Amino acid sequence: MKPIFVRGISHQFRLTLAIILSVVLFVSNDRLEPVRQSLSSLLSPLQYLANVPGFMLDWTAEAFATRNMLAAQNKILIDQQLLMSERLQRFEHLRQENERLRTLLGSPVHMDSRKVVAEVMEVASDPFRQLVVLNQGERTGVYVGQPVVDAKGVVGQVVDVSELTSRVLLVSDTTHGIPVRITRNDVRAIANGTGEIDEIELRHVAKSTDIIAGDLLVTSGLGDRFPEGYPVARVMSVSRDDGQSYAVINAQPLAALDRIRYVLLIWPDDVDNNPIIPIVPGADANLPLENTTSPAETSTIDAPVNASNAENSLPQEVSQ
Amino acid sequence: MSAHIANGRFVVWLTLFIGMMFQIMPLPHIVAAWRPDWLLMVMIYWAVALPHRYSILTAWVLGVMLDVLLGATLGVRGLAFALTIYIVVLHFQRIRNFPRWQQTILVSVFVCIYHLVIYWTEFAIVGGTPFNTDMFLPAFSSIIIWWWIFWFLRNIRRRYKVR
Repeated sequence: MKPIFVRGISHQFRLTLAIILSVVLFVSNDRLEPVRQSLSSLLSPLQYLANVPGFMLDWTAEAFATRNMLAAQNKILIDQQLLMSERLQRFEHLRQENERLRTLLGSPVHMDSRKVVAEVMEVASDPFRQLVVLNQGERTGVYVGQPVVDAKGVVGQVVDVSELTSRVLLVSDTTHGIPVRITRNDVRAIANGTGEIDEIELRHVAKSTDIIAGDLLVTSGLGDRFPEGYPVARVMSVSRDDGQSYAVINAQPLAALDRIRYVLLIWPDDVDNNPIIPIVPGADANLPLENTTSPAETSTIDAPVNASNAENSLPQEVSQ
Repeated sequence: MSAHIANGRFVVWLTLFIGMMFQIMPLPHIVAAWRPDWLLMVMIYWAVALPHRYSILTAWVLGVMLDVLLGATLGVRGLAFALTIYIVVLHFQRIRNFPRWQQTILVSVFVCIYHLVIYWTEFAIVGGTPFNTDMFLPAFSSIIIWWWIFWFLRNIRRRYKVR
């Protein structure tokens, strides 16, 4: 029996309740991270389900790819690999030389950090923000604030982690800032997103600063979030308008943010867990290639390090 | 009787979750701005059909879930859903008896209100969100979708005797 006039809580009361609850959520938004995380873990099957049609489309495209297409692709990849391996040979030589020189100086050596490839899930995000969802989550060890890069440059950082997915804030978002330096002359600046996917800007840069269009911006490593030396953007235009207090500098992110597909999640060395280690060439083989921050792994890293420190006391003393 | 109600409730929530899935479904870049608000329309239908069962607070919960899925500030869509459904529920008798074309116009107006509320709250909380008339495009696509959703959900309601 359906009553025509339902008595109960009035609509006005419900609306007031909903508004109050929303305001409570707005205010406590920063402290609700655990709640959001568990809720989004609960809802992530929905994201995977929504991703199925796109996945199927990709799969059929791959399954019905013609032999010619595959052959052409294969040729490109082989060429690329040849180029890359040649470059890698030179790089390996330079790396060893660099490490040796740094050991002589007693300065910290850059270590290989752990990396994981993640795929961008094609699900919708808040249209007012620049966000993408990745198919790796807490289970892989993803954490909030983690740097994300692709083959060309920095993509952004993780802002939200659930069990199986994570959300990345792109460098072009209005709330995103990244400390950079110019490779040409080491001028430091902070690159802020503008909300446009192919544009970031350097704010509060004095007009006399030596910046020209075409300069490459790389991460400066200041701020302890992004590891040093990853390319971020290329300066497109510099205008020094007399009416403005600062130079207006626009740059274009190097990563193709509007069509990213595969990205790399990086675990930069945690300074607290892994004290700065001078590596002697002999101890190189003892170090695991993938450096994880889990306690079990760090202990295995520490062991050879202490031994190497003892052996290595001579060059350090020399440098002091 | 109780089994019937439980059954009906399951069907309604199933349609709502399917609506939510469509809401976050990937779309080609060209039509992404035209994404119809599936979840809002499914919710409007149930609010018009069964306002004593699914109304403002249900809408709020769904909005918060959508916020989590979209990575927005929690509560933005909750507020927008609650406000829109409040207007719907106030006039549910009238909306029910309107001819379909009139209903469709109203729904697109509701979609506009929903997007405006989201824009305003995002502007107030996060700030710096550019005003873009693109956000009213879903109002047009919703016109097309509403005919189908209304027909589809009415059939479901009759078939499963949801009350």
